[in-house]
Parts: sequence; C-alpha cells; structure tokens
Amino acid sequence: MPQPSSQTARRGAVGAKVGLRAKIGAVIAHHRHTFEDSLIRLLRDPFQTLMTTLVVAIALSLPATLLLVVDNVRQIENNFDSFSQITVYVDNTASQQQVAEIQEKIQSFSEVTSLVYVDPKQALNEFTEASGFGSALEYLEDNPLPPVFIIEPAIDVLSLPQKAQKLIAKMVNIDLVDDAQIDMLWLQRLKSLTELGKKVVLALGSALGLGVLVIIGNSIRLAIHSRREEIIVVKLVGGTDAYVRRPFLYFGMLQGLFGALLAGIMLIIGFWWLGGSVENISQLYGSHFVLRGPGFQGFFALLGTGFLLGLAGAWLAVSKHLNHIKPR
Amino acid sequence: MIHFDNVSKRFPGGYEALSGVNLHLDAGELAFLTGHSGAGKSTLLKLLMLLERPTSGALLINGKNVSRLSNYRIPSYRRQLGVVFQDHQLLMDRTVFDNVALPLQVAGYSRKETGRRVRAALDSVGLLSKEKQSPLALSGGEQQRVGIARAVVHKPRILLADEPTGNLDPELSAEIMNLFQRFQDVGVTVLIATHDIDLIHRLNHRIVRLDQGSVAEGGGAYAPAL
Repeated sequence: MPQPSSQTARRGAVGAKVGLRAKIGAVIAHHRHTFEDSLIRLLRDPFQTLMTTLVVAIALSLPATLLLVVDNVRQIENNFDSFSQITVYVDNTASQQQVAEIQEKIQSFSEVTSLVYVDPKQALNEFTEASGFGSALEYLEDNPLPPVFIIEPAIDVLSLPQKAQKLIAKMVNIDLVDDAQIDMLWLQRLKSLTELGKKVVLALGSALGLGVLVIIGNSIRLAIHSRREEIIVVKLVGGTDAYVRRPFLYFGMLQGLFGALLAGIMLIIGFWWLGGSVENISQLYGSHFVLRGPGFQGFFALLGTGFLLGLAGAWLAVSKHLNHIKPR
Repeated sequence: MIHFDNVSKRFPGGYEALSGVNLHLDAGELAFLTGHSGAGKSTLLKLLMLLERPTSGALLINGKNVSRLSNYRIPSYRRQLGVVFQDHQLLMDRTVFDNVALPLQVAGYSRKETGRRVRAALDSVGLLSKEKQSPLALSGGEQQRVGIARAVVHKPRILLADEPTGNLDPELSAEIMNLFQRFQDVGVTVLIATHDIDLIHRLNHRIVRLDQGSVAEGGGAYAPAL
C-alpha cells in the first residue's frame, strides 16, 4: 500500500469484518429465512405449486404402487414356501398291504421329514362335501381317486431343484408308484414374474425419477429466470455462489417433499380402500393374506426420495443456469 | 489503493478496450474518470469489480494483485467494494431497508447489527424516513441515493460509481457528488466514471481522462505498490 499522503492520514475507513461465530449464526439465520421465504413463494403461486406437486406425486406414486404390488406378491410366495409338498400317487390297483410297504419305504428316505396318507375313500368323501357334486359322484362305480401320500421334504431339498428332482425320481422308481409331483413350478413362475416385476419397478422408477428431476429442474429454471435481477445484484455485492444457490435448493427440496407427501397420502388412501376388498377375497379362499400398504417406513422412504430428487433436480438446474447469469 | 500497472483488456474478437493503462489512486483519494463513450471507462470499472479480467498487466488493490484472484475469492473481494450504478440496480420487490441491507446479509451480519448500519447509511443520504417504502415510490434522485446507501452500508474502502448522475438534473447531480465527497472525507477511495464535464470541472478533484483505451491525462504518480 502506498504511503498515505497528508490528506489521507486522518482517515481510516474500516472494511467489513465479521467474526466466525456471528457468521455461523448469520448462515443459520439465512437458512431459516430462505426456508420461510421459499415456502411463502410456493404458497403465493398456488396453481403452479399444485401442478408441480401433482405431477411429482403421480411420478412417484406409480413406481411406489408397483413396488408395493411386487412386495405383496412376494408375501404370497413366502407363505407357500413354508408348506411346499411333494404329492406321490400310488396305482389304483395296489392293495392295502402294498400301500403300507410303499409308505415304509418313503419314510426310510432321509430327505423326507413327514408324510401324510390320504385314503382314496376319505379323499372322495371330502371332495363330495367340498365340491357340491355330491349326487353326481354317487353314480361313479369305482372310486377314481388313487391312494396319495403328501410328503413334506427337508428344507434343503426344496431349495435345490436338483435334489428335489432326485427325490422325485427315487419315489417314482418304487413299485406301483405312478407319479410324484412337486407343486413348485407355478411358484417358480410366480417368482420369475416377481423378479421381472422388480426389474420393471427399477426401470420405471428410474425413468420417472428422471422425470421428477426434469420437472423440478424446470420449475427451478423458471424461478431462476424470474429472480434474475436479484441474482445479479447479490453477486455484485459479494454474495457467494452458495448464498445465491440456497433459495433455489430450498425451493426444489420443498417441491419434492410436497410431491412425495401427496404421493404418500394417495398410496395410503388407495391401499386402505383396496385392503377391505382384498381381505374379503382372501377370507373366501381361506387365506391369511392381508394387503400390505406402504407403512411408516415406506412412507418416510417416499418422503426421503422426494426430498432427494427435489434437491438433486434443483442442484442440476442451478448449476446449469446460474452460471449463465452474470452481472453486466 | 488502486493501481493499474500496464493493464490491457482485449475482448474475444480482437477489440482492445484498454491498452497499457497505468493509473494510480492513493487511499482516500477521489478521482473522476472521463472520456468519450467507448474510451474504456466501463471496462476499467468492470476490471475493478472483477466482472472482467485483464488480458495482461497487473491490477493491484491495497497492494494485492487481484487480476488472478480465484473465482472462489471473488465474493469476499467484492465485499471490500461499494458500487453505485447508473441504473442503480435496486430490487423493486423489496423495501428500501431490505435493498440497503443486502450487502450486510450477504456478508453475514447479525440482524441487530444490520439494522443499525442500514439506518446509519440511510441517514447519511437523508432517506431514513423512507426505509419502509418501495424504491418504486421514490424519485430518481432518491433511488440513486438508496443505491449509494447500499454501496456504503458495509463501509467499503473503495467506492466505485458508473455514471451515477447520468439520469439526473444538474441540481440533483451536484447533490449526489456532494455525497461522494463526504465519503471521501471519511477515508474512502472514490472513483467516479462520468460524462458530466461541466459539473466535475467545478469540483476540485483529479480528473482521469481515457482516450481510446489509454490514459490521456491524470494517471497519477506511478508509485510501486508494496
């Protein structure tokens, strides 16, 4: 600095200096003020806010619904996993003695945990009662139903298809055993369907998540545009990039959160509305199946997703558009 | 305080707005920057605000070369400056108070300190009674005085003004210039770009005349910066 002249010696303007503590306090105050200001701005333009919120809510609720559907189907799978059985059909001509022998043989297999014998007569009676074909079945001369063993295999057999196939082959090889079937095929189909469903959720979720980013990014772009003057002045008086960015990040965050909140409410109401009918149906089929909604965890996960997507969308828009706004 | 050492600014396209400018202002000095349109006044001020960077040469502020300052440090550099614009750049959706408070908010002053300083600044330009009004409700001269209050509210060491009297009648212009002299009196280095030759010849201050991107007169003592 050059030597002060006599004219300047009496002067000494002090530059703006602020202590660290005061600065942190001011940053917190600015955060709070920005939050309130963003909220007020959103409420001041209810139509625009409602539109964005609605679009975000729809974009979020679609994959969320699908995810819940997949989740519910997997619940069905898990219920069936616990009592997967192998059914062994014995030839109709087998005598009581032979059936007993077969039973002994099956029980000797180490892979078999338990075994139930279904007597043909007993089965026919049950069928007559349950099916309502009672009088028609009386015209049958012979009982067409074969003696059946219902086998519960060890868990490791069920989880490994090769082991299950081996066990079935062993049983079919027994004399007078017509067939042995494992009721897993449809379960496997269901499983591959839910796998597919999970992938669809992922793809749809990514696409719609991207959509949310774009929607919020666009609304931030508009907000940046309408506050252009302000941004320029703030930059001119020494506002940092973080300071300039802050209101827009809050704006995006709030929009994401609002959208997610609406999506969550829509899901809860929708699943509550469907839940009653589903319960009726599953009771008619004698099942304990209950439709599971998003629950607390799902609801907050949804809010978190909306919040993060809003923040990310705002961040993208801000970093893309803010640099274009330069003081003249 | 302000020292241009052989500063040139060439814009993309080859137009050389400033060529080899040497200019020195002591701390607490007040100087007028004149010249025809296109002589480089605006470019010189933009370099001082770091809105543009010199193509060559060194720009020393308070002995520090700021021409290569990283973008990250620009905000804190600008807080040392106060700038008055011809079109005053006020935000019309805020009160006079909020406009003047902006540099303090940006710098992280507490609410209490902000209120105290904003009122002091408004008082110094004679607009304390208008703090709650919108700038739209004020006359052109009053708006410009709000702009000046905003430029000095954080007590900058350097005050720059770009055609501050451009839109005002002679009487108001003289009033505004008086204000600038009062800030000089408390130690602020003031540089005012202006067309208003008649007015500044009546005031007894240094006049720096730019001509085609160079200093034609009044560049000042060439003292090496420390």
